[in-house]
Amino acid sequence: MASTDQVQPMRQRGGAHPVRTATVVIYATLLLLILTIPRSLTNWLRDMEENPIQQVLLHAADAVQAASHRAGVDAVYIRARSAFFKFAGKEDE
Amino acid sequence: MLFPTISFAVFFAVVFPITWLLNSHNTWKKWFLVAASYYFYAFWRIEFTILLLASSVGNFYLALLLGRLPDGRLRRAVLWFAVGANLAVLGYFKYWDFFAASLLDALGPFGIVTNIPFIEVALPIAISFLTFHALSYVIDVYDRTLKPTTSLVDILLYISFFPHLIAGPIVRASKFLAQTTRRSLAADIKLAPSVFLILGGLFKKVIIASYLSTDFVDGVFRAPADYSSVDLLLGMYAYAIQIYCDFSAYTDIAIGVANLLGYQFPQNFNQPYRALSVQDFWRRWHITLSSWLRDYLYIRLGGNRGGRLATWRNIMITMGLGGLWHGASWNFVMWGGLHGAALVVERAFGLTGAPRSRVRSVLAWIVTFHFVCITWVFFRSPSFDASLVYLTTLFSGAGWSTTMTPLVACVLALGALTQIVPSGWFERLETRYETGSLAFKVAIPFAVIFVISVAAPGGIAPFIYFQF
Repeated sequence: MASTDQVQPMRQRGGAHPVRTATVVIYATLLLLILTIPRSLTNWLRDMEENPIQQVLLHAADAVQAASHRAGVDAVYIRARSAFFKFAGKEDE
Repeated sequence: MLFPTISFAVFFAVVFPITWLLNSHNTWKKWFLVAASYYFYAFWRIEFTILLLASSVGNFYLALLLGRLPDGRLRRAVLWFAVGANLAVLGYFKYWDFFAASLLDALGPFGIVTNIPFIEVALPIAISFLTFHALSYVIDVYDRTLKPTTSLVDILLYISFFPHLIAGPIVRASKFLAQTTRRSLAADIKLAPSVFLILGGLFKKVIIASYLSTDFVDGVFRAPADYSSVDLLLGMYAYAIQIYCDFSAYTDIAIGVANLLGYQFPQNFNQPYRALSVQDFWRRWHITLSSWLRDYLYIRLGGNRGGRLATWRNIMITMGLGGLWHGASWNFVMWGGLHGAALVVERAFGLTGAPRSRVRSVLAWIVTFHFVCITWVFFRSPSFDASLVYLTTLFSGAGWSTTMTPLVACVLALGALTQIVPSGWFERLETRYETGSLAFKVAIPFAVIFVISVAAPGGIAPFIYFQF
């Protein structure tokens, strides 16, 4: 795992479009996480105070969760987490 | 708002593109980052943003005054006012009740009853780091090593910038303000180190620190008398790894996040448990705090310029106050005092240099590591008495069984690896990442965060250093 030990000096090695590359990395990573672990987003939105924007976002998140479930994408996370907690001898909270 | 949460991911996903879209209008970008930082801070308690604003504006004008005044008594008085005002705010919120309680305890046995009121207000989060940043600015201006900025937004951003606002690293005003006067360059983004710092930080916090804390350390420190000596020894090691992984995780993520926004933060940790002396430890642990204490306290007290006794006194004062900075408790004073005493002993016996043989190096490492671990007991225990119970039970040889689970043992071993793995390994990984395709650049953070989410415990505790 990385640590601050390796941070200095940061090497000058920018790509052709570092901002664009970083933007793609951030948004694509978040999108993949939403598709594979959709319930984390719906749970987060449900915990928020109810308001019209939250309701719209929650409906969208529910739709993503349903699509992910139909495609079987969310099953990978659910099975992996279940297997990990079984292996670790712990109860999933 | 904690770093390893969906709230922060959403917050950053909004802040990142807007910051870069505004980059060609540097002032607008800075105002936007100030607004984002105040929003980030308001997540805890909105009323404390007034304190943040007042501190920033007050120090901005005091620094302007210091910059204009000629050297002399008035200028010195303004400096003392600025330092006093910053410390008074810190003292009021953080130390008033502690000193009131200590005074009552001290006078009680003599039958002296005083009527000191307790304020019992919530401690504004980040107040210590905020104070350090503000003091760094006004003292540097007083020393004329830094010109006071005439741009209020620069100071607002310096003090409130959300990556370092809550728990550092402590960024010197001169280093930060030099970055605010120009727009950021796209080439300032070092994607590979930033991605690895953020991912490593998430792993250290969510997996290592969280499991060590909830599944072992918390229980052992809550009731040490109920555990065997082996458990207490392992609990001490586990806490050493936990606090490193917890705190370094925060600063790793802060450095990575700041860099993605175009700002450079200094290094804060350098594999501290590899240290071969206590002095070496303080050159590797919370580097920005130890260098702050050295420059703004130890050297101001006279440093090593007044002979041996004065040097030892200055070390003890610096480390004692450094300990007290961590929290309003005699445990922290003890922790700082023990480190100060060790630094004095090392100086007195000439033990600060590199050991001359491999055997001496190993011995120096064993002694230093165990000294640091024992002092962590004072740092972690809820009271001074609890620390003594922990240490006496530890050394009593009470039982040889352990309650440590295989999961905690694995996590502890992973945490220990952070101190052993050569830095060259990470550089090779970063090079591989940097030269990879865009799909590869996305796949790595996705896979790592996915795995962390699979193994993450139910809830994430706040970072330990938030309370300081």
